[in-house]
Amino acid sequence: MIRRRPFTRLFLLLLLAVAGWVWHERVNLQAFPDIIAAYTAKEYCSCRYVANNPADYCRGYVKQYVPTSAFSDNPERSEVTASGLGRTHTARWMGERQGCRLVP
Amino acid sequence: MVRGLLCVALLLVTVAARAETWPDKEWAKGALLAGPAVDALNAYAFPPRDDATRQGIRTDALLVIRDGVVIYERYAAPTIASTPHLTWSISKSLMATVLGVAYGENRFKLTDPAARFYPPMKQHPTVTMADLLHWASGLDWQEDYEYAPLKSSVVAMLYTRGRGDMAEFAADTERAAAPGQAFRYSSGDSNILSAALKGMLGHKAYMSYPWDVLFKPLGIRNATWETDADETFVASSYAYLTARDLARVGLLMARNGRWGDQQLLPQEWVAFNRQPFDSYKAGQDEAVPGGHWWLNREVQGAARPWPDAPADTFAALGHWGQALYVMPDEHLVIVRYGDDRDGSYRHNELLKRVLAAVQP
Repeated sequence: MIRRRPFTRLFLLLLLAVAGWVWHERVNLQAFPDIIAAYTAKEYCSCRYVANNPADYCRGYVKQYVPTSAFSDNPERSEVTASGLGRTHTARWMGERQGCRLVP
Repeated sequence: MVRGLLCVALLLVTVAARAETWPDKEWAKGALLAGPAVDALNAYAFPPRDDATRQGIRTDALLVIRDGVVIYERYAAPTIASTPHLTWSISKSLMATVLGVAYGENRFKLTDPAARFYPPMKQHPTVTMADLLHWASGLDWQEDYEYAPLKSSVVAMLYTRGRGDMAEFAADTERAAAPGQAFRYSSGDSNILSAALKGMLGHKAYMSYPWDVLFKPLGIRNATWETDADETFVASSYAYLTARDLARVGLLMARNGRWGDQQLLPQEWVAFNRQPFDSYKAGQDEAVPGGHWWLNREVQGAARPWPDAPADTFAALGHWGQALYVMPDEHLVIVRYGDDRDGSYRHNELLKRVLAAVQP
């Protein structure tokens, strides 16, 4: 048995290990895809509306190795929305003192 | 006769006090530095900037104050003198300074458990204010930023699971070691301090406290301090100040917590900020932790972190090259903002070149 299907066994063992790791890291893995959209929305909002930097500079400033798929900056509402890895997040400028914050 | 002597003494003290320069609405400008040493400083701090690769040293602002007077100031676009720049973890030392005022108002003692002011810390009832200020809560915190985003507690706190209530997220971290026994740099510890301050003051007073007790007295007019959704200041990361305004905090620290004739911070508080944490092991971090400030001190026989800077140098440091350096004996305050993405910037090299440039 062992000699006949060594690869199947190895594969199953590997699968089990991966499944174990996924279970162990389930909370982190579930939140992981949110990072890029949340980071981009929040840090762009602050770059633009707190630090008052130009829009094109802020786009470059928030660029990371993970790409974003959609992005919108609504200056009338001081609201920035970004999407990436299938998740979308929005940050809003709250005022002079409190700056930007991700909206729930 | 005695009265006459007293008058003379009083006059001398007054003259000495007058001789001290403080910024008013603007900083006084002295003779600006020039010469080959300044060229060497410029060459290090402001090399041609590559926005495509984002490699190398990318200084946004460099400001040098001596004796309360601006002697060097330079910015790189788009940062200008009026830009409130993100300070990242300099915010931690700013929170320590705000806490110093609260300490002077007898709102807490260093030995107080944080749980006294912030109930979620009842999970860790023996963690004291001093432990948090030393980044020694003993909580199992992962401080990596972009290189280990899956496991990073900071990234989860700022952007995903923790962002609604960052202090609670930090307080919910499991214990890894006994509090106060070991240094472990943690943005979570700083945000628990911020929540503890809120507990001392109540929500309403807390929301204006940094402005009321620190920014306004120092003449800082446009500071932003972002909060989480629970309206707790993100003490770990999100204070924004112009370089000139951050230098005011530096001058306050250089002069031992005094601003003009007002002792804003108790001297013993500044002494605590500048006292190395005794359980810190040399080499654990890029500088020696004091009470939420970074020190250039020899510990356990190891060399100073910045050998070319004097031993009394202390600093507030932040991600991507943000720094506020204070050298009390040299009467120097240096603000350096940057956008360094590759870690090639060296504090010691910059300080060495600033010190060479300010020599008469």
